[in-house]
Amino acid sequence: MDLQVIINGILLGGLYGLAAVGFSLIWGVMNIVDLAQGAYLTLGAYITFWLFKLWGIDPFLTLPVSALILFGLGFLIESQIIKRVLRYGFVMLLVVTYGLNLLLQNAMLVAWSADYRSVTPAYSGAGLNIGGVNIPYIRLALFIAALLLVGLLTIFLNKTRVGNAIRATALNRLAANLVGIRTEFIYALTYSLAAAVVGMAGSLISMVYTVSPNLGGAFMTKIFVVTVLGGFGSLPGAVLGGLILGITEAFTASYIAPGLMNAVSFILLVVILIFRPQGLMGKQFYGA
Amino acid sequence: MNNSAVARRRFPLSIVVLLAAVVILAILPFYIRGYWIRVLTTLFMSAVLAEALNLVVGYAGYAAFGNGVFFGLGAYTTAVLMTRFGWSFFPAMIASCFLAATVAFLLGWPVLRLRGHYFAIATIGINMAVMEIVTYVGITGGGKGISLPLFPGDIVKQGLFFYYGMFILLIISVAITYWIANSRLGYGLRAIKTEPEAAEVMGVNTTLYKVLAWSISAAITGIAGSLNAYWLTFLEPLFVFDIMISVEAFVMVLLGGPATIFGPVIGAFFLKLLSELIWSQFTLIHMGVLGLIIVVITLFLPSGIMGLWRQMTLRWNKANTARTSPGSQ
Repeated sequence: MDLQVIINGILLGGLYGLAAVGFSLIWGVMNIVDLAQGAYLTLGAYITFWLFKLWGIDPFLTLPVSALILFGLGFLIESQIIKRVLRYGFVMLLVVTYGLNLLLQNAMLVAWSADYRSVTPAYSGAGLNIGGVNIPYIRLALFIAALLLVGLLTIFLNKTRVGNAIRATALNRLAANLVGIRTEFIYALTYSLAAAVVGMAGSLISMVYTVSPNLGGAFMTKIFVVTVLGGFGSLPGAVLGGLILGITEAFTASYIAPGLMNAVSFILLVVILIFRPQGLMGKQFYGA
Repeated sequence: MNNSAVARRRFPLSIVVLLAAVVILAILPFYIRGYWIRVLTTLFMSAVLAEALNLVVGYAGYAAFGNGVFFGLGAYTTAVLMTRFGWSFFPAMIASCFLAATVAFLLGWPVLRLRGHYFAIATIGINMAVMEIVTYVGITGGGKGISLPLFPGDIVKQGLFFYYGMFILLIISVAITYWIANSRLGYGLRAIKTEPEAAEVMGVNTTLYKVLAWSISAAITGIAGSLNAYWLTFLEPLFVFDIMISVEAFVMVLLGGPATIFGPVIGAFFLKLLSELIWSQFTLIHMGVLGLIIVVITLFLPSGIMGLWRQMTLRWNKANTARTSPGSQ
């Protein structure tokens, strides 16, 4: 098997992994399949685009801005809408998050039109060549940034008090409440955190994909596959799932047919769901 | 005592209203223009899709978010059989119905074992996978789309054909829902929705019931897709496998009231008429308004119009009882 294909897949897979982390976290902690994640991702990409276009800010430096804005938006949406719908069960949550997705996506369409835009910093063309394998710097940087962010989030969840509170809430909301954790606040925090992470993923993605209001929709389906592959709630699982999806896609495109790339990943999704619904990494702390 | 008396008194009224609605809709095409005939035809189609989805979502409690796959399958089966194999419409429609039901039946055994989110995501995955395959395979015309033979006869006849076709399909799907709701299958499904383990223990063959409900839902959706394909005479994978088809049907079910017989129909009429009258001219914000409506429904009308109606009549009955029989307790 061609090394270049594997490398391409791995570099792309890192981004997929980061994009899926927020979705996976919300599913694991709050038991919500958040279909609005696609819109948050798009918004993150637009934030990077506009900061780069209007003020020439380096795309990597826009990450904190994306994170902050989406954290705020996530908090607003959780505390005003999601919180009220929680008691109506998962079907309603599925539908309401899809409604939010439509609303946000349409708002971006109205505000910024359906034009395809791209973020092209000066270094976007360069790359290094090792033994015939071509690695663009930007893809490598994105991969490293994605892994770093997932790593930071993992440390946050495992080593800090708030992180432990999130995990405790995921395990058992009632028990967490009994030991004094304000689970309502933890829910809002988890949701905002997830929105911030997927927003940063969007910022990174804007450097290699064209940005349009539909960007998130295309990634949403990949997020499903990655999350299901890795097992929801599991951060290492999301990274592993991302890598597997990236490699599978690159492999299908090079050796089977480019037109079947998406079909193969969706079939993979359904097959994994049927045979191993807990994901490859199994159940983690979350999602009791 | 009082409840049954109320039911007896209200029963004929609802039948009268229903019959009046059917008669009005049946003779309406002779009094309205082509535009409104088309609007009503799409309206019937939406109601059919919502009613079919209701069987799975409302009664069995399974969030089939990708139920639109059967719409696309029905549409493409009809298109391929008519253009590539020269079938006429009705055999092609019946084949579409059977294919959709068979696919649901075969996929149902493994996929309906999944619960909650897993099932929802699996159906989305199936929808997307089938769309990608249809786009890739040559016989379907791929991403460029496929043209069906035109309906023989003039445009008026054509309009009437599809109007009555969808109308009859709607009546059939409502009748099927009514039958299921009052049959062993319906009680089984509701038991599964409330407590799957308990249903299993009580002797409900849960897997079979769920698979049957999904297959019936798929069959109805497949016929709707088939009729729609012949009506539009041009298909593209992105159109007929659009996830929005299922989402709209979902909204109609929730708006009208899940697990009620007429709820989805009412929801479909409400949403479609509203969209046609108010925001259809603003195509740019069409999706956003739908999103807003979704959010508003989930926040303020979680049990749907039928749920609201039930609450209101219950309250009214209670108030009435209190007034008419003082001191009886």
